[in-house]
Amino acid sequence: MKKQWFKVFAGVISLALILTACGGGAKEEKKAAEGSQNEELPPVELVWNFPLSAIPQDLATVQEAVNKITKEKINATVKLQAYTFADYNQKMNTVVASGENYDIAWVANWNWDYLQNQSKGAFLELDDLIQKQAPDLMKSMPDFVWDAAKIQGKIYAIPNYQTVTKKEGFVIQKRFADKYKLDVNSIKKFEDIEPFLKQIKEGESADVVPFLNDKTGRFSVMYQSQGLEALNNVVGVELQNPDKPMNLFETPQYKHYLDVMRDWYTKGYINENAATLKNKNDIISTGNAAVQFHSVLKPGGEMEAKAANGGNDVIYVPLTDAYASTGTVITTMQAISKNSKNPERAMMFINLLNTDKDLYNTICYGVEGKHYTKVSDNVIKVNKDAGYVPNANWVFGNTFNAYLVEGMDPAVMDQTKKENETATKSALMGFKFDNTPVLAEIANIATVIDQYQPALDTGTVDPNTMLKEFQDKLKQAGIDKVTAEMAKQIEAWKQTK
Amino acid sequence: MPASQVAIHKKAVKSSFESKESQWSSRIINLFFCALSILFIIPLLLVISISFTDEKTLLQSGYHLIPEKFSLEAYSLIFKSPGVLLNAYGITILVTVIGTVVGLFLTSLTAYTISRKDYRYRRIMTLYVFFTTLFSGGLVPFYIMITQYLHLKDTIWALIVPYLLNPFYILVMKGFMDKTPMEVIESGKIDGASEWRIFFIIVLPLTLPALVTIGLFISFQYWNDWWLGLLFIDNQHLIPLQLMLYRVMSTIEYLSNNISSVNVSVDMTQFPSLSARMAMAVLAAGPMMIVFPMLQRFFVSGLTVGSVKG
Repeated sequence: MKKQWFKVFAGVISLALILTACGGGAKEEKKAAEGSQNEELPPVELVWNFPLSAIPQDLATVQEAVNKITKEKINATVKLQAYTFADYNQKMNTVVASGENYDIAWVANWNWDYLQNQSKGAFLELDDLIQKQAPDLMKSMPDFVWDAAKIQGKIYAIPNYQTVTKKEGFVIQKRFADKYKLDVNSIKKFEDIEPFLKQIKEGESADVVPFLNDKTGRFSVMYQSQGLEALNNVVGVELQNPDKPMNLFETPQYKHYLDVMRDWYTKGYINENAATLKNKNDIISTGNAAVQFHSVLKPGGEMEAKAANGGNDVIYVPLTDAYASTGTVITTMQAISKNSKNPERAMMFINLLNTDKDLYNTICYGVEGKHYTKVSDNVIKVNKDAGYVPNANWVFGNTFNAYLVEGMDPAVMDQTKKENETATKSALMGFKFDNTPVLAEIANIATVIDQYQPALDTGTVDPNTMLKEFQDKLKQAGIDKVTAEMAKQIEAWKQTK
Repeated sequence: MPASQVAIHKKAVKSSFESKESQWSSRIINLFFCALSILFIIPLLLVISISFTDEKTLLQSGYHLIPEKFSLEAYSLIFKSPGVLLNAYGITILVTVIGTVVGLFLTSLTAYTISRKDYRYRRIMTLYVFFTTLFSGGLVPFYIMITQYLHLKDTIWALIVPYLLNPFYILVMKGFMDKTPMEVIESGKIDGASEWRIFFIIVLPLTLPALVTIGLFISFQYWNDWWLGLLFIDNQHLIPLQLMLYRVMSTIEYLSNNISSVNVSVDMTQFPSLSARMAMAVLAAGPMMIVFPMLQRFFVSGLTVGSVKG
């Protein structure tokens, strides 16, 4: 028996030896690459990970064009590593956990979480690099944007400057508003829309959904108009009293919202399948969603909304003023990997992305003449069949440097900039909740929410019977612990401010 | 009546009673499986029907088993630029063929070795194989292994190598090969056949049903896989079919769940319409739907022979 074991072990060990031998070779290569870094701007290759809706077919051509510019300016080539939004989180987690080499990665608060990965030590601290390599970058964005990006007083990612505000309100099909002569000035609160919903319900065919809702509910996009700010999906503060975090589902506002939704649902204003509806865009694209509630009514957004609504004109009816919080700023950023071998060059590249119009528009729209044609100096026409339509300028850099796409209102950029600067700023700007101490509670809460929220938030079930049960289950899941942890972290954050 | 006659009579009565009973039970069983297979088939028919339905009617009046308004638009949209799809098809077929042939060969070799009763370490080797069904290294070590030690990232081999040997299939195959009488192998030896010759000429033909069954499993695994592509493939020319499909579906779902409260703008109209998505699903599943019935004969006998024979 002993002999048998010995033989097996010998086999395993020799296999291991072979494998480590291979690994050793790779390490030496890496060392050699590091060694050649000392001269004045030697050529380097940077790897940049970012997500898009779909991976463009003709990414290779664009990469070539981008490299032409970067080669000349910073003697670096960039490998564009695009993933889809759905894959990005999983993919980047694996890359970081395995220690794979990359230089720059896109990061946000809604996909591949900024805070979580910073606390894992995935990112390089950038303050010094910004000072040295990209002094202009600081001035290209307002101070509060930088404040929002800071974690414990340090910057770990560069925000892509775009619309950094939120403004809640209704998106209404213009043809119905005209038909029933909707007085938009009469709508101050979300329940004020009810008479209009009634008119639509009575006057339009059954295909038209008076108020579109889906399984995520609408409460999470109307915090601000309810006088609340959410700090994660379950805990928030009152705007009047930003020091005291509380359970959002225990607020009178939530109860009120549920009562209204239940009322609307029983009256038939809400689509019946709301509690199970995952992709409401299938309904929106028919133009039959008469009234929707959105949290991001940005300047010029009506045009994008028109395309999404099957080409039907829509009007915006905002209920709030523009509001900026940490959560609205850190939705799109670039971070540099802790393992990057060329952080200086990576910083230079991010700087170019935010300041160099040529480079930025190449990555946004592709190659002139192939992927787009110029209509005038600053206006272009996108060629949709050429295989490069990322249609997501906000992923790449400072969106105010982008060309206008034909049909876009040139005033929109100025309006957006103005709104950014004049927006009401959250008292908690820069605060981010680190959920590591309460991971188990967060997971339990997520299960409870999955179970109750879709039915409750869409009015499918009666809140008088279900809300209490929901709140009790949340308590059992440990929501109070999360609230307490939030309060603790806010206190600690104030000390460092 | 003499006692023996009574016994015979009783037996006859009993058996006729039994057959009535078994008729009933088989009817119930048949009904049950009819219902079950209808449950399986209807969603499939729905997918096919949706893929042939006009998009507008689909969104307005929902799904129907028979298209309310017939339209080939979804397919014409996909075949307008078939390059990407055909390329993905090619990759999937290539991976499935190579993977199945090589995988089946390696699986049967391993299974044969540990099923030979004259192999001294067969118990420990079986345990070694079995052990990996219970414990695995986890995702990150697996990723590191493939990318940093085997350097397979962004190569077609990353789609093939990880699934070559599945311990479960080895054990099923071993269970089957255990039934091959040792005498047959010995007789081959006496006639002067080499080990390879015994394996190819005697053992493999005897295990044909198992080979087809396992081969089918392996090929399904390769055909339906998007996971390896997701992890290891960045080169757009090496994307397998299922990953292409999966990406569209998962991105739509991810964005519609996450984007509504975030102030970034994503144009949701750029995604393929519902009917186009279903058409893609039909195209992706199609070939396997044809292959499966053709091999079903072996498949059934493979399952039963393994348990009854011996």
